[in-house]
Amino acid sequence: MNPFKCVLAIFRKEVLDALRDRRTMLVVLASSVLMGPMLLFALSSLISTLEAKAEQRVVMVAGIEHAPSLQNFMQRQTWQVKVAPPDYEQQLRDSKLGDPVVVVPADFEAALVRGDAPEVELVSDSSNKQSESGVPRVAQLLTQFSQERATLSLALRGVSVALLSPIKVQERDLASSQIRAAQFTGMLAFIILLSVVTGALNAALDTTAGERERGCLEPLLMNPVASWVVAVGKWAAVAAVSMLIAVLSCLSFLPGQWLLSSDTLQAMFQFGWVEAALFLVVLLPFAAAASALLMAVAIRCKSFKEAQANSTVVMLFVSVLPLVAVFNQTGEEVWHLWVPALAQNILMMRVLKGESFTTLQVVVPLLVCVLITAVSLAFLTKKLRQAAVK
Amino acid sequence: MIRIEHLARSFAAAPAEQKPRSMLAGLKTISFKRSPRAMVHAVRAANLYAPNGHITGLLGPNGAGKTTTLRMLAGLIQPDAGRMTVDGIDVATQPQAAVARMGILSDARGLYPRLTARENIVYFGQLQGMDRDSAHARADVLAHTLDMRPLLDRRTDGFSQGERMKTALARALVHDPDNIVLDEPTNGLDVLATRALRESLRFLRTPEGGNKCIIFSTHIMQEVQRLCDSVVIMSHGSTVASGTVDALCARTGEADFEEVFVKLAFAPELGLAV
Repeated sequence: MNPFKCVLAIFRKEVLDALRDRRTMLVVLASSVLMGPMLLFALSSLISTLEAKAEQRVVMVAGIEHAPSLQNFMQRQTWQVKVAPPDYEQQLRDSKLGDPVVVVPADFEAALVRGDAPEVELVSDSSNKQSESGVPRVAQLLTQFSQERATLSLALRGVSVALLSPIKVQERDLASSQIRAAQFTGMLAFIILLSVVTGALNAALDTTAGERERGCLEPLLMNPVASWVVAVGKWAAVAAVSMLIAVLSCLSFLPGQWLLSSDTLQAMFQFGWVEAALFLVVLLPFAAAASALLMAVAIRCKSFKEAQANSTVVMLFVSVLPLVAVFNQTGEEVWHLWVPALAQNILMMRVLKGESFTTLQVVVPLLVCVLITAVSLAFLTKKLRQAAVK
Repeated sequence: MIRIEHLARSFAAAPAEQKPRSMLAGLKTISFKRSPRAMVHAVRAANLYAPNGHITGLLGPNGAGKTTTLRMLAGLIQPDAGRMTVDGIDVATQPQAAVARMGILSDARGLYPRLTARENIVYFGQLQGMDRDSAHARADVLAHTLDMRPLLDRRTDGFSQGERMKTALARALVHDPDNIVLDEPTNGLDVLATRALRESLRFLRTPEGGNKCIIFSTHIMQEVQRLCDSVVIMSHGSTVASGTVDALCARTGEADFEEVFVKLAFAPELGLAV
């Protein structure tokens, strides 16, 4: 009997079986396909609120009546001065107030004239992201005010203003807009990686431990089919489901971009057909390896429930390994490419940053995935007959 | 034609739980060393010859080793010793060719709940090397024989025990095998279904039905008396007697076959020498 035909028959049956499990399939598809766009949407609304804040040029001041000169300066800089509510501290703590508050002491004007350098407080709460993000802008405004005062005093005394700034500082940010965006969008790579594994999870467990529990495996192996044919056919079906989810979740980012309300983020987050294709180059081998690994773990288990408990170890590794890149401040190292899940995360981040792959970066993770698949399938083949009768 | 000679197989027994006298004593006995496992001789010396055009009953009490023997015949378990041939093909050296000549209804008869009865049957047909069309045609024929036409295009989820059995049987017979091995096929069948199954097996034995070699494993004596041409009695993993029902009755000097079976199968327990 032609083994290829057998693999095909098993593949067809398993895919049909998986797709007929409608409810599970819908939940998996909905969560993996909607997750990305929803996350993008949430990110973009956060960023656009921050941007709107920056454009508003509003400064909250408590005790502005004590500082007419400061108020005059702020208004000349086209800032809108608002009186801070009396319970601003509590409101900042509760995240009800989205702006930092400048607190002016009662003797501000007099002290300024005397040259006593009155102390102005800039109050924010670092756990309140919105107020925190406004601090640099308001601080800069206050610095500008003191510079103006200093310049005027020096000019009155006939001293060159240039003495105040013996050096010039010019800031230059080397990060491209895409790299800056990757700080925000890096989470997306991680989410896709997880959804590929969760997509494979159900099918992988059902076709191994689930069939073992239902007593389907024994009759199946009483057909004149070699164990490896059964293993490959089943794996191909699970990998196909997992890859389908990878494709769908990558493609969901294409229309997902339209949800981006922030122009800046839209400009920075460039995810077109090329990026989607590069994501798939990274994800498809990973989906194949994850499917095989999950099946190898599950074939040892007597019931679906036991297999679920065992597969959490795989899930844990997939969710923890990418964090190595986050915690490791020394940057990308060669061994990272040899670690599954971490390597995929790194490569997807490169795609989001608009960087290209080197040959090594493509070949090493691919090799690791092929190796995991081969070892897992060999184990599955070995255990299949044993599992069928116990 | 199926021949089994001197088949033996033993397994490592599950570790025995020692009952601690108290919690503390229980904690002390916890160790991570593996205690050496006792061996269980599931099958010691199984012998069976089942010719074509003949229904051979495999009779034995629970735990006699019937299912293990049939699993070895299906190539799922490797025997420790002995030899099995199906139409002259050695199961040990050519397992796939041997299995292809058999239709086996195993002890586990799980169906795929999300597939229809027809899809279940056609799937196994394809794995037996049939093309889709002939597998479909064969499913229709079997549905007629086993009186399960209305079931054919329903999903097997929610089938009754008898309906499951019929589907599993049709699945095992889809490739029209020359040798049919049935492990307790009447479990869960009602009287009418059992009768229908008996009728179809009798037909399959005749030259018109294909002169099949049929092995019928059971622990129900009446089944054997009603259906089988000859019977092989297994007990404690060994074949203890074989022959026709009448010959075995004559050998033990009993008129009632149940007495014959008890005498032959439980001889050591009863302190009998037969």
